[in-house]
Amino acid sequence: MKKNNVRVLTAVGLLSTLSYLLMLLNFPIPPFPGFLMIDFSDVPALIAAIVFGPVAGITVEFLKNVINFIMTGSPTGVPVGHLANFAAGVTFILPVYYVYKRFESKKAMPFAILAGVVSMSAIMSVLNYFIILPAYTLFLGSPAMSGAEMRQMIVAGILPFNLVKGAIVGIVFYMIFVRLYSWTKKLAAA
Amino acid sequence: MMEKIILGRYLPADSVVHRMDPRAKLLFIFGFVLIVFVANNVATYALLGAFTLLIVFLSNVKLRFLIAGLKPVILLILFTFFLHVFFTKEGEILAQVGFLSIYEGGVIKGVFISLRFFLLILVTSLLTLTTPPISVTDGIESLFGPLKKIKVPVHELALMMSISLRFIPTLLDETDKIMKAQMARGADFTSGSIANRVKAVIPLLIPLFVSAFKRAEELAVAMEARGYKGGEGRTKYRVLAWHVRDTGALLLLAVLAGALFMLRS
Repeated sequence: MKKNNVRVLTAVGLLSTLSYLLMLLNFPIPPFPGFLMIDFSDVPALIAAIVFGPVAGITVEFLKNVINFIMTGSPTGVPVGHLANFAAGVTFILPVYYVYKRFESKKAMPFAILAGVVSMSAIMSVLNYFIILPAYTLFLGSPAMSGAEMRQMIVAGILPFNLVKGAIVGIVFYMIFVRLYSWTKKLAAA
Repeated sequence: MMEKIILGRYLPADSVVHRMDPRAKLLFIFGFVLIVFVANNVATYALLGAFTLLIVFLSNVKLRFLIAGLKPVILLILFTFFLHVFFTKEGEILAQVGFLSIYEGGVIKGVFISLRFFLLILVTSLLTLTTPPISVTDGIESLFGPLKKIKVPVHELALMMSISLRFIPTLLDETDKIMKAQMARGADFTSGSIANRVKAVIPLLIPLFVSAFKRAEELAVAMEARGYKGGEGRTKYRVLAWHVRDTGALLLLAVLAGALFMLRS
């Protein structure tokens, strides 16, 4: 992100707004439990990353979560859910950006998205095991889960959910990317 | 669909809490979140509860607004409560129904944890109910100001955040308008399979992206025309002022923390 470029600042601000609004329009997907919700808030972050660079994408993810936290608060006091969302967003958009930049062509995008989905699902599984689930146990005071129980929950619930979520978000992003491709090129060059 | 979204729940009114400096409020909440975890018996929870009621009373916020803020999390609170009632196996057995037995320790733990939730949500909603989001942003910018020394672009982040907050209602209106326009042409956003939903969302997102970029461009031109050149030497329209009551609030919190540590078992 070029420093102090007013145009970048305002665009990232507006993309964050869009991301925040899309975050509110979340919905559960049937086979998974209700607290695992899917939303399209990563799409503006991906667009920001492609047009203005990785820092802009991370900023959109960051602002979206900060605004959501200010607007609604968090039941755990410490925003565990928001931090998890931020981590998932960043681990998704960074591989997409770097793989896409490596080839810089429309054809590379499906592979870039695939890399993003795999990286996000893998890293989030590890984070859930070591940090997020223990953090929920600590702050919600729910009965501690044993390592085996956590592994089962991650393998049966969280990992497939993240793969499905990543795939759906990736497809939506790809369809938008294809339509906006030449336009984003122009924006990035300007 | 859009009516479900509550936008910035700030309620303009006049009270000691409303007049507090946003920085003091943020520090207060941060401290409160930390000390809530100190409470672990009846006396400490009673003290925390009484303290929270006192702030609610001072804030002059009508109870029904606070209750509205609790609605989205009530299910989560009930869920944790019953989780403890049924699965914590400590103390004496109070009741036994079939294979389920309810232990005394489980009920006590359930009540404490739900109460903790309840207090945390109540106090954090007080912040959003008594402080306009833009003041919260000013407060955050000022509190994190020292990070500028290690090259964190605090001013830029705060600016992007205020822009973002400012455009929530605008883009929400726009989303609503585009959705209605698509619905008039027969689009269906609320039902159908996942594949159908995904397909329906594309013609909604593309005009939104285009309009977001257009607005960003216009805003940038307007800002440059007015001579915006970054955070250096910029003067402020809303100046934050720290008063005696802000120091007082933080001292009160320190006293509460001390009392909790003494009563803790």
